[in-house]
Amino acid sequence: MIHDALLMLWDCSPTNGSNENNYSNDGDAEIYGRIYEIAKSHHRIQNFVETTGFRSRKTLSASNHKLYGLYTQALSEGMSEVLQLYKKTLIEVESLVIGNINYTLSFVYSYVEKYRGLFNTLNRVITTIKERRLVGCQILSLIHQYILNGSEMVHEAIVKIFTCMNKVFVNQLCTWLLYGELRDPYQEFFIFRNLDEPSETFLSTPSSAQTCDKSLVSTLQDATLDCGFTLNPSMIPHFVPLSLAQEILFIGKTVLLFGFEPKKTKKSNNFATNRSMMTLQKCVTDSRRFTIWEEKEAEFHEKLQKLKNPEVFEVCNLRSVVRDIKECVTKHLWTVAVEEAQLIHELKLMKDFYLLGRGELFLELLRLTAHMLDKATTRTSTRDMNHAFQLAARAVFLSNSADIEKFSFELPYVKPNTTGNSSVEEDSNCSSVADGWSSIILKYDFKWPLHLLFTPEVLARYNDMFRLLLRIKKTQHDLHALWKTYKQSASFPVSQLHNKLMFLMDNLQHYMQADVLETNFSRLMDAVNKTNDFEKLKRAHATFLADVLSQSFLTVTSFSDSDCSGDTGDSINNPVFCNIMDLLKLCHSFCSMNEIVSDREAEDYYIRGYSERFNKLVKHLMQLLVSLRDRPCGVYLARLLMRLDYNRWLSGEAQLTQSVTNMLRY
Amino acid sequence: MPSEMITLQLGQCGNQIGFEFWKQLCIEHGISPEGILEEFASAGSDRKDVFFYQADDDHYIPRAVLLDLEPRVIHTIMNSPYAKLYNPENVYLSKHGGGAGNNWASGYAQGEKLNEEVFDIINREADGSDNLEGFVLCHSIAGGTGSGMGSYILEHLSDRFPKKLVQTYSVFPNLDEISDVVVQPYNSLLTLKRLTESADCVMVLDNTALNRIASDRLHIQNPSFAQINTLVSTIMSASTATLRYPSYMNNDLISLVAPLIPTPRLHFLMTGYTPLTADHELNAAPKIRKTTVLDVMQRLLQPKNMMVSLSPDRTNQHCYISILNIIQGEVDPSQVHKSLQRIRERKLASFIPWGPASIQVALSRRSPYVHASHKVSGLLLANHTNISSLFDRCLQQFDKLRKREAFLEVFRKEPMFKESLEEFDESRSVVDDLVHEYQAAATPDYVHWNPESSQI
Repeated sequence: MIHDALLMLWDCSPTNGSNENNYSNDGDAEIYGRIYEIAKSHHRIQNFVETTGFRSRKTLSASNHKLYGLYTQALSEGMSEVLQLYKKTLIEVESLVIGNINYTLSFVYSYVEKYRGLFNTLNRVITTIKERRLVGCQILSLIHQYILNGSEMVHEAIVKIFTCMNKVFVNQLCTWLLYGELRDPYQEFFIFRNLDEPSETFLSTPSSAQTCDKSLVSTLQDATLDCGFTLNPSMIPHFVPLSLAQEILFIGKTVLLFGFEPKKTKKSNNFATNRSMMTLQKCVTDSRRFTIWEEKEAEFHEKLQKLKNPEVFEVCNLRSVVRDIKECVTKHLWTVAVEEAQLIHELKLMKDFYLLGRGELFLELLRLTAHMLDKATTRTSTRDMNHAFQLAARAVFLSNSADIEKFSFELPYVKPNTTGNSSVEEDSNCSSVADGWSSIILKYDFKWPLHLLFTPEVLARYNDMFRLLLRIKKTQHDLHALWKTYKQSASFPVSQLHNKLMFLMDNLQHYMQADVLETNFSRLMDAVNKTNDFEKLKRAHATFLADVLSQSFLTVTSFSDSDCSGDTGDSINNPVFCNIMDLLKLCHSFCSMNEIVSDREAEDYYIRGYSERFNKLVKHLMQLLVSLRDRPCGVYLARLLMRLDYNRWLSGEAQLTQSVTNMLRY
Repeated sequence: MPSEMITLQLGQCGNQIGFEFWKQLCIEHGISPEGILEEFASAGSDRKDVFFYQADDDHYIPRAVLLDLEPRVIHTIMNSPYAKLYNPENVYLSKHGGGAGNNWASGYAQGEKLNEEVFDIINREADGSDNLEGFVLCHSIAGGTGSGMGSYILEHLSDRFPKKLVQTYSVFPNLDEISDVVVQPYNSLLTLKRLTESADCVMVLDNTALNRIASDRLHIQNPSFAQINTLVSTIMSASTATLRYPSYMNNDLISLVAPLIPTPRLHFLMTGYTPLTADHELNAAPKIRKTTVLDVMQRLLQPKNMMVSLSPDRTNQHCYISILNIIQGEVDPSQVHKSLQRIRERKLASFIPWGPASIQVALSRRSPYVHASHKVSGLLLANHTNISSLFDRCLQQFDKLRKREAFLEVFRKEPMFKESLEEFDESRSVVDDLVHEYQAAATPDYVHWNPESSQI
């Protein structure tokens, strides 16, 4: 009977313990029942270990079953290791029982009783895994939760299991952090790759790795920031804070990025270059991976491997290692992006070109191309525009600088028949094809790692700014061109309206350029000079752009009662912006008045109309201040109005209500 | 090469300030007196082409025309280290070399006589530029050549180049001291008429104020011409800074001038500059003041820094028509808005009641080759109605002479005044109208103002 019990405990006999009733002692039945309970829970664990273990995988993988991952395997290995102790105890008991037949069932029970708690815990783990269908890091997380246990034995056992699983985790972490490789065939890590092709297999054969790399390069060349890797929030172990997980993701991505510098790889593949050059380039490419870490690769590797020891594996330790690595990565990124690619210089270029910092160049460009941009774009517009750009650059002695080459224009040509849906913004009257002013795109060819900063989205926003500024500059230029004409004319109302419009445009431009751009740009430069962390720089740049856009009223607001017509989701419907655009249009029609109007009477008629419109728009602009009071853009509107209403003339003229006048006092 | 400017220097005074101006430009752009770009200046991103062009051997030549009826000043220039800078074809001296005898009529008549030759030079120079924006005329209104010949050229520049801007730097005589030119009031008034009618923008350089500034602010006992001219060249170089050091705006002259001048005839601009340091002070005890944008902007609004002497505005009725500040140096751009706000709150400047007006602030770079003792310096260009007091004084002085019929015979010698002195009366009425218009511009009724109504 004792042997029965032992066999049951060994998990050899599939018996259920209630078939025999002849016990030598009265209490034996109950003890046998207890032993049976232990045996049952052991059996369950053993079952789990066998189905998930390494050997079972081979048999299962042939069939189409869902595979158990590396973590589950590690778990089962850990468990079987823990069970070893139990089995050793059983062997010990057996030999004792064989040596002395006087031992009772309770003697056996006394040996195995201590395993009850452990088995219960393990079984709870197993049921939780099964019930919640936990995989990968989730299991790791679960085990980690069980580490703190009052029972010494359970604690030790769980630590043992955790160590097994942690090895897998640390290894994955290590390859990801140091080489940007994701060795994760079962998608168990908390970082996963979001592939466009769902059919992509994850077999770790070298050939498929190659294709993975290629697609990565192409995505990089497409200048997408995200190289497909994202966090899987459900997989993040509870002991890893989200911020840490993000840092880990960032490091891996950055490391990947360094591995695929398009220029260098391209060059090394180019067989036309002479031999010495080529080998040199190759050296650079080969060494690039390792130059990221300099001599620290081994150090970091060792540090990470140390984390396998559960005593060392603490969140703070993990964090400190990750921090160290991140520091190294960002430093390298800084060298590549800021020093080698001259990021600060490029930022200045962005300001000079996208934000019209080189006023004289764009003045000349406007002189050459205004007539072209007034009309709808044609097939040759892009070419003409770029040609004019070159001419303008030559005129202001910029043509020999390499920076000019980086910029080019594009005027998307839309066939007049088709409804112009490819025009970027502002097609308030859908029937007519957008003119050059609203569709012009300034393109920028930047150096390799800077796509991190200048994503397509960022460039699109820069282009929004560019179009607005160019339009203001053009309007201002047109108005200035009329100055000499109106100076000679005697008509006071005309010249006064001209003055008001000019005043408006001048101040609008001063506001844009000085209050918005210069101020924010100097803030950006301060931030850039203070830090040597690329991420901080990136954040500073994003803040800069966001501030500039919102202060230029280029943000899309959810303002419902805007009077802007035909806003089709994408277009900018900020009421202030609409107002400014209307003012620009007014200026434009004022400037072209000369061409339509012949006699004095007609001129008077037009002037009266324009004056009324001007007054209405300005009044509206000031009234907007009340409705926008609580929004951030209200503050900026107040700033703009402070310039416009410096001598309180416009507000006096507009006959505003007391509340608005009070607000204008700031 | 867009937005080029051609500088015309007329007469003794015009050539002197012109000379100082070019000297200053050469220093600021790193161009040697021979017109050769210095080694250290080869990488500059400044625009030299606005005022210079390059000869075949790449040396820089000023777009300057030097005209005089007597040889003294031009000879001094031609004996200076800067002799080789100028295009010798652009230096025109009348053959007889007798000058205009401080007589406006003589200068005017000689201008007429020499007009072919002078305009040949100007035309040639204009043809040599791609997109000429305008002319800068340097002269004094009191002498003979600058005022008389200057008047003639002014009248005809606008005929020949109707689309081009004409800006003048006009030196007004020092009224604090007795001039050796007795007919100065006549000359001034006759020139003022042309400045009112033919120029687009007149930068008033008042010798009275310049001398006062030199003695009061710079503590120079008897300021020399050279010292006064340094002040002038400082103003001239600062007012063209945004053209030469391109930045986001004010890249052409029109964008500087147009916002300042809302009505056709009120185009006389005052200037102010701060901080000022004289050479001797700089060497002796460099007084470094703390300069901030607000500081500079506030000081620019103080009358004592104004380079035009205005009679005190007792009734406090005068006001600014417009203000443009050109701030140079290391500026925190966010300061500009704060300063504007502060000035507005404290009501440090009063503006016209009949239209929108504000202080526009242009930030400009400084020449990297000139050491500046101050972090920030500022130039003020302002259109202020009280400038009429300056013209009023000219009128009073004119009336004094005219009443006595003094010194009229020298004018009668010239063809213009042979038959009648109508020209005097006409000029007087033009200037008188100008004074009235400026006074009217300080009131809200200016919108309905017309010269006819004021005369009744």
